[in-house]
Amino acid sequence: MEESGSSGGAEAVINLGLGSSVPISYHPCFGPHEDLLLLEADDNLVSDIFNGRVTLRGLPDEDAVLCTKSKTYAIKFVGNSNSMFLIPPSNSPGFIQDDAHGKVSVIKLAPGNMELVEVSPKLDKLKQLLLESPFGPGEVDAMMMDDDGSEKNRVLYTWSDLVNIIQASDEELLKGLESLSAIEIDGYWRVIDESYLDMILRMLLNNCVLNSWSFDDLDKEEVVSSLVADEFPTKLAGHCLRVFGSEVKGTNKWKLEPRLVCLHFARQVLREEKMRVERFMEEWKKKIPEGMEEKFEMLEGEVLTERIGIETRVYTFSVRSLPSTPAERFAVLFKHRPKWEWKDLEPYLRDLQVPRLSMEGLLLKYTRRAQSRPDAEPIFSAR
Amino acid sequence: MEIRVKCGCGEEGCSEWTIVELQGVVDSQSSFQGSVQNLEIGRLCHSDSSQESYTFTVGYHELTGSKVTLKKPLLVLKKLQKCTDGSSEKETELQVVGIIRSTILFKTRPKPLFSGTN
Repeated sequence: MEESGSSGGAEAVINLGLGSSVPISYHPCFGPHEDLLLLEADDNLVSDIFNGRVTLRGLPDEDAVLCTKSKTYAIKFVGNSNSMFLIPPSNSPGFIQDDAHGKVSVIKLAPGNMELVEVSPKLDKLKQLLLESPFGPGEVDAMMMDDDGSEKNRVLYTWSDLVNIIQASDEELLKGLESLSAIEIDGYWRVIDESYLDMILRMLLNNCVLNSWSFDDLDKEEVVSSLVADEFPTKLAGHCLRVFGSEVKGTNKWKLEPRLVCLHFARQVLREEKMRVERFMEEWKKKIPEGMEEKFEMLEGEVLTERIGIETRVYTFSVRSLPSTPAERFAVLFKHRPKWEWKDLEPYLRDLQVPRLSMEGLLLKYTRRAQSRPDAEPIFSAR
Repeated sequence: MEIRVKCGCGEEGCSEWTIVELQGVVDSQSSFQGSVQNLEIGRLCHSDSSQESYTFTVGYHELTGSKVTLKKPLLVLKKLQKCTDGSSEKETELQVVGIIRSTILFKTRPKPLFSGTN
C-alpha cells in the first residue's frame, strides 16, 4: 500500500488507501489562473483531441465553436456554485513545488467547466462570400491572355481563409462547397457564374449530339477535350460534367443526370417570373435536349405553384436559397407562405440536418399542425 | 481564426489531475490577514467503512463524501499566447495539460466536531 506521505499531488488523492489520510493545502501558486480551463469531453472527443484533430474556429466577434474533422460543437460555460478544488499531479510543469514530498496542493478554485453541444455547421456565410465574385468569362479571357487584370478588387478565398471565417468542421465545409458546386481555381474556391455555366453546358450537350455520344455513357476525357477545343478551360469543362452528371459506379464512364440538366433549363425559363404552368411547360420542353425527358417532379424543392383564380402559376423558389439553420429556415418558409401542405413543405426540409432532432421533432418544435378532418391533409403553419 | 488544441503527451501519458468538490465556501478565519498560499485547508481521509467513503475535515467541520468516476472526463486546458515565428502577432493556443477522470464529492452538511467528542 502506498504511503500517503511519499508522493503528493493528485496521485495521492486518487490512490489514497483505505484508512489513510492526507492533508490538502493551498498551493504556493494558488490563484485565479484564468488561463486554466476545464472542458467536459466524451471518450470519442478525448481521442480526437489527443490525436490533434480538434480546433476552435470563429471570428473574434463570434462565439467560438469546437470542430473535429467532421462535427461542429457550440461551447457553453456551465458554472458550479460548489467549491471545486483543482489538484494537479505532483510533477506538474509550471506548478513545481520545492518541498513537494507528500503535499497535496490546490492550484485553483474552478468556477465551472465548459460543455460541448453538437450543432449544425454555420454555412450560410459561405454562400454569401463565394457569391461576391462568381467566376465568369471575363476572368477566363484574362487567364488566357496572361493578364494581370486591372479588376483586382475581387475578394477571393482560399481553403485556409474559409477555415478561418466559417464555423464548420473540414468535412462539413467541404460538403457545403460541394452543395454550392464550388470549384478550386488557382487555390481559390469559386462558384461559377450561372450564365457562364449555361454556356458550357449547352456546348457540352451540343458536342454530345455532334459526336453521337450517349448521355448515359460519356467518356470524361473526350468530353473535356471537346470543350477545350471550344476554348473552355480544362478545369471548368471537368467541373461542368461533375455539376450536371455523375460517375457510373464500377466503370470509367459518366452520365448526365436528367434532373439536374432539366432543372437548369427550368430555372432559365422562369428567371424572375411567375409563369402560367401551361406556358412554362411549353417553353421548358423547347430547351430540353433530344433524348432527355422533363418531368415536373424534377422541380421539387426548386419551384412552387400557386393558384390565381382559374390559373396555376409556377415560379422559382429554391431550397438552396434558404437559410441552413432550422429556426431561420422555417421563418422564411412561413413568411413566404403562411400555410403549407406536407407534400409542398417536405422538399424544403429534406436537407435540414439537426443533431438530436428528427423530422418529427423539427415539425413539433417549429410548426403548428392543423387537420380539418382525420382523413384530410394536415396543414402546417408557424408556431 | 483557428486555434488548434494541442497535446504534448498522448492519451496514455496524459497526467491525471483530480478535484475535491464540496458544497459551500471555505473561508479563512476572519482574524486571518495574510494570503492563503501554502495554508492547509483540511485533511482528507479514506475512511475504512464498507462503503467507498471519504471524510474531509476542515477546521471544526467534518464532511462525508465519496469518489465519483466521471461519465465524461474533464480535460484540463491551458490557454497560451505564443509569438508566431517572425511576426509580432500573438497566436492563441490551447494545450491539454491534464485529464480528470474522478473527483471526490462531498454533498453532506458538515458535521461539527467538538473537542472531546468524535
